Amino acid sequence: MNKRVVITGLGVISSIGIGWEEFWDSLLNGKSGISPVSSFDTTPYPTHFGGEVKIFNPEEFIVKEQLPLMNRATQMALAASQLALNDSDLTPEGLYSYRVGVSHGTTLGAAQTIEDVDMLLIHNKEIHKDLIYQMFTYAPPSMIAKEFKCNGPLFMFSTACAAGNYAIAYGYDLIRLNRADIILAGASDPISRIEYTGFNQFSAVAPEKCQPFDKNRKGMMLAEGAGILIIESLENALKRNAPIYAEIGGYGLSCDAFHMTTASVEGIAECMRKAIREAGITVEDVDYVSAHGTGTLANDKAECAAIKEVFGPRYKKIPISSIKSMLGHTMGAASALEAIACCLAAKNDLVPPTINFETPDPECDIDCVPNQARKQIVNIALNNSYAFGGNNASLVLKKYSGS
Amino acid sequence: MKQRVVITGIGVLSCIGTGREPYWDALFHGKTGFGPITLFDTSLFNIHIAGEIRDFDPVMFLGKKGLRELDRSTRLICSAASLAIDDAHLQITDENTQSIGVSIGTTFGSLHSISQFDRVGLIEGPRYVNPSHFPNTVLNSPASRVSIRFHIKGFNTTISTGFCSSIDAVSYAADFIKLNRTDVVLAGGVEELCEETFLGFHNLDYLSGKDGFEPTCFPFDARRNGTILSEGAAVLILEDSEHAVNRGAEILAVVKGYGNSFSPQRISNDISADINFNQSGKGLKNAINLALNDASLTPEDIDYISASANSTKSLDRMETEVIKDVFGKYAFTIPVSSIKSMVGESFSASGALSSAAAVCAIQEGFIPPTVNYKEKDPECDLDYVPNNARQKDINNVLVTSSDPYGNNSAIVLGRYDRR
Repeated sequence: MNKRVVITGLGVISSIGIGWEEFWDSLLNGKSGISPVSSFDTTPYPTHFGGEVKIFNPEEFIVKEQLPLMNRATQMALAASQLALNDSDLTPEGLYSYRVGVSHGTTLGAAQTIEDVDMLLIHNKEIHKDLIYQMFTYAPPSMIAKEFKCNGPLFMFSTACAAGNYAIAYGYDLIRLNRADIILAGASDPISRIEYTGFNQFSAVAPEKCQPFDKNRKGMMLAEGAGILIIESLENALKRNAPIYAEIGGYGLSCDAFHMTTASVEGIAECMRKAIREAGITVEDVDYVSAHGTGTLANDKAECAAIKEVFGPRYKKIPISSIKSMLGHTMGAASALEAIACCLAAKNDLVPPTINFETPDPECDIDCVPNQARKQIVNIALNNSYAFGGNNASLVLKKYSGS
Repeated sequence: MKQRVVITGIGVLSCIGTGREPYWDALFHGKTGFGPITLFDTSLFNIHIAGEIRDFDPVMFLGKKGLRELDRSTRLICSAASLAIDDAHLQITDENTQSIGVSIGTTFGSLHSISQFDRVGLIEGPRYVNPSHFPNTVLNSPASRVSIRFHIKGFNTTISTGFCSSIDAVSYAADFIKLNRTDVVLAGGVEELCEETFLGFHNLDYLSGKDGFEPTCFPFDARRNGTILSEGAAVLILEDSEHAVNRGAEILAVVKGYGNSFSPQRISNDISADINFNQSGKGLKNAINLALNDASLTPEDIDYISASANSTKSLDRMETEVIKDVFGKYAFTIPVSSIKSMVGESFSASGALSSAAAVCAIQEGFIPPTVNYKEKDPECDLDYVPNNARQKDINNVLVTSSDPYGNNSAIVLGRYDRR
């Protein structure tokens, strides 16, 4: 159970880049991936923008004939997995497949399939088997396992907007428990009409841009994407000379047990504390916090209050940024993509910014790395994620410092 | 270490009985829970039978307050949690809440809520959707509401791996105890019967009765032609054994080991070609072997196998072949039964219902039968405990789940040795 676990490959499908190189470059340059939503008609909505991945061409990754049998969540998950495996110098043939597993996360996974089925239902049309197959929430990890011959454990966490962290965290456990050597961990979610409706009805969607921690922030930006991390026992990684991006230090989960949609300062503070405790570090050791930072009034306020509670007088000294300012909120995929950003921050000693920051908010008086990336030593990064239902997950990622 | 994770309470809502004792009693008597569907209009289908939980009154378990906003899955799982907490005499306080967690398997538990929400938006326009229905559209809503209602703050996890969901949720919970993250976990699964899920399995030709004959669920029987869909919720209280002993809890069983393995079930590249299982069964075989190894048991130590066979042609056959493969000559002497002949196919909840039945076998010393069994299938030639429960001392039970997408999970529950 004391095995060290490292991250040896990164795969990204995002509105600001396909592959981690392009993604990281965009993050450092503060590039926004927000554009008018085109996958459904937004005329009846008060807002019209989102973070769709318009640069994704699934045919580059998946045989054309198979595409109609996979929803967008699956297509993005498969593509991100392919990128991560390539990055990690792994081929399915080179794996002992029973020791390779998949741990995946989603908010609605099959959101777009459910939406397609609903459209057919209201018009009394027949629902074909092909479509029903795609409704199964766990299609993305199952198709990853099938495609890349991962015959070990398979898990699908549907813990809403914290799902990516949950999936990575349990992948780490599976390796420590010696139930696998390698896990393809991450999450994927498509842009969803259902989410767009819900968050608009909550008046939680920003009209044009996402401005976490800004006094005039107007809400989140619905988005999509997929992030996959190859996580592996250090032993296995060294044996095969794999590239190592970062080490997983530990994690914390907590539940607010308070309200379905209102975050609790106590709950998210406890989550960070657990992660720090499990990693065997102190608050003094944390060099960077990747915030959940959705850009809604309530979330950012609660998160900052929790950070103050956990970090005490040091809270202003830690760079805390939200890449959701660039990507929007990719739902279940968000914390997976943010974990990838943390790995790259630790690897390169660079911190991505919070863009669109204009006016400081006295209630969010943290150092949110406004608008410009920063050179900064990152030995330890803390990746926060919070979800509906008060499901909180914080992950500690460490700079890899040799065996 | 082998007795590290124990079971100290059970809460069950099923179409054959609610509460631990009534459920066990129904299993003993081979009661079936099938009847005409009342939860939705079935006039568009040619199948009208399912395993509904009749006369379910959530007020009995949860009181009146705050019920209105909970969908059926959430009401079911919260009720199961309430029963389990009472059964285990578990006190949840400000002092211990951080060391108690929730791990629930569900896949389509929120599907009805999601689809209804979306369809209102489509028909009436998104501005006319009731925002208070939005929280029910996340798949983690049922589990989260368990935490909210019972003030459980340690962690809250929802796992959606289809037929394997609740065994996966139980094994995840056991891992959390082994890793010293928690003392107690409410682990289980839930699935409500709704028109959307029914439509899905119906159109996949997964249900018995599509030919116009009376739907029947007869696992392993030569006549089997599909399953009967049902609903259910079950919560097991998993606990660190030391914690359980210290608080004087009654220990019902031990979680001895588990395994999880994927093997693509379809040979064809066309994933839609057939929901049925191919015959490789490699993943299930591997999952069972992993579970036996994890439990430090050999095949002859298993006294009873609670199968996931659900009266579909290929699953029941595949499971039979895998059992013969893993257990060799013992395969013919180990009783194998499917409680789905009584409780139906409750999808994500099925593993939790089977685990609750396995604890019953250990505690009560009988094997639940495979009912409706009449005609022997030459390809399914094991001892399926046909039609009548059988008295037997049970030390170790293997429970399996297989999903058509290729996931397989197995768990071994055993008798607690007091020494």
